[in-house]
Amino acid sequence: MLKTEVNELLTQTGPGTPTGDLFRRYWLPTLLAEELPENDCPPVRVKILSERLIAFRDSEGRYGLMDEFCAHRGVSLWFGRVEEGGLRCAYHGWKYDVTGQCVEVPSEPENSNFCSKVKLTAYPLVKVGDILWTHMGEPDKRPALPEFEFAQVAPEQTYTSKRWQESNWLQALEGGIDSSHVSWLHSGGLTSDPLFKGAKGNEYNLNDLRPFFEVAEADGGLFIGARRNAEDGKYYWRITPWVMPSFTMVPPRGDHPVHGHFWVPIDDHNCWAYTFDYHPTRALTPEERQAMKDGHGVHSRNIPGTYRPMENKDVDYLMDREAQKRGETFSGVRGIAQQDASLQESMGPIVDRTKERLVSSDTGIIKARQQLRKAVEALRDEGVTPPGVDPEHHRIRSAAIVLPQEESFIESCGDALAARAGVAHTSV
Amino acid sequence: MTTPTRPILLNSCARAATAEEARFRIDRPIGGRSALVVALDDRAVEVVDRVAERPWSGARFVRADAWRSDELDDVDVAIMIATSDADSEAASAIARACTERGIMTAGLILGERLDVAEAVSALRPYARNLMVTNDEDDVAEVLTALRA
Repeated sequence: MLKTEVNELLTQTGPGTPTGDLFRRYWLPTLLAEELPENDCPPVRVKILSERLIAFRDSEGRYGLMDEFCAHRGVSLWFGRVEEGGLRCAYHGWKYDVTGQCVEVPSEPENSNFCSKVKLTAYPLVKVGDILWTHMGEPDKRPALPEFEFAQVAPEQTYTSKRWQESNWLQALEGGIDSSHVSWLHSGGLTSDPLFKGAKGNEYNLNDLRPFFEVAEADGGLFIGARRNAEDGKYYWRITPWVMPSFTMVPPRGDHPVHGHFWVPIDDHNCWAYTFDYHPTRALTPEERQAMKDGHGVHSRNIPGTYRPMENKDVDYLMDREAQKRGETFSGVRGIAQQDASLQESMGPIVDRTKERLVSSDTGIIKARQQLRKAVEALRDEGVTPPGVDPEHHRIRSAAIVLPQEESFIESCGDALAARAGVAHTSV
Repeated sequence: MTTPTRPILLNSCARAATAEEARFRIDRPIGGRSALVVALDDRAVEVVDRVAERPWSGARFVRADAWRSDELDDVDVAIMIATSDADSEAASAIARACTERGIMTAGLILGERLDVAEAVSALRPYARNLMVTNDEDDVAEVLTALRA
């Protein structure tokens, strides 16, 4: 349960809001690199943190991200032409470079310097891995580029997709750190999904539906351990890291690639889920990569040409009651990503957390909300840099491991929870 | 021949997940959760005493050495608070009593992880949900979230 004012504090991320200011301290996924595939390709409309922007790639390969609307008459620059080192408005030909600087106003005299006085708000746009990242905060507070392992390994070892989720970002994040739903909502996928099936760990998941939870603080956020019974009096641990503000990793299964999400607010009622899969020590196989493109694992099956999942609210998520009755899916919705999204969207665009009834197995969610609130308040009141900004905090991993009962997951898994180049992840 | 499409009211489909439709959700008072908060060591007693001064829905606060099993009779969740000196015998006794009654157990251990490792080991078998935290505010935060 949250008070109304705390729920509003954490869910509002537009300009001038405290949590919006928090998000503006981080590099955030903004587009997939595939959306701007070549120099002078068409521009792309982007909305992030409730700001409408236009992204483009100029003739020199430089990425630009700036106010979507021309300074002249406020028309959308999406209709514009990307040409000769800039984006030219389709209405009267005003032209902007990747910094948002107006470099040409054709109606002015040739020797006019009027254009130098016109600049659109612009943010940096930088490619790291398969993603174009932006930092929307003050330039003097700009941290070093992100160092999440999924974006650091060789291109053949990683795959990233994205999908539109029609809910506030916090609902999506809370799903990512809520391990207790996996044995229910995703139980069908554990035995059939090509990116999950066959792992020994799945048996532990399905044989023990009442896990114990342990939450531990981390420099960048939290580690949340879910403990289930294994054989010989041992425990099977699944450890989920959360790095502030909205990065989580799912504990791995067998030698399958390991996956996770980065949730980015579009506005207060919508967010992007950037979903990755990577393997730290080998290339993804063609079959794995195809399965990801087909919406298996934690990826979605999107409507061609869009990042909207086929199973969306307009079509009742393609509910299949027969599959539900047969036990192929627990909720009747296909795919792990949309099983989560369908339920999180059903809560409403911003769930009223004053009306929820949490239980003690929701401790991870309770703690994450508290850490977020404290970080937002510390930034707002004292200017304290929040956890997760420092790239050092990005070098983490999830893990799945069987341990003797007396061992603590956090002490025993120190190495397993750190990203180490060329070292396989710890998985069962 | 195509099947005629039946008109569907907004509330009969997933598109009803709008802020406007949320106004029609049934608004019923939510009862509190009956919690017993047990301090397992002296420093935990200090913390629990401070937290107990706040207004709560019905949460009760006791020390491990003063705890009686009949105090669990109307309890939904038992929350054990410890620092580095957790009384594992008391934790075990409380957990056994909770198991017999089907009561959820949780543990909050306050302190630096390395300093409280023994307390964590002592509580791990008995607390279904365990949080290790440096922040004393987490005790009140958890109780508030649970409507205790």
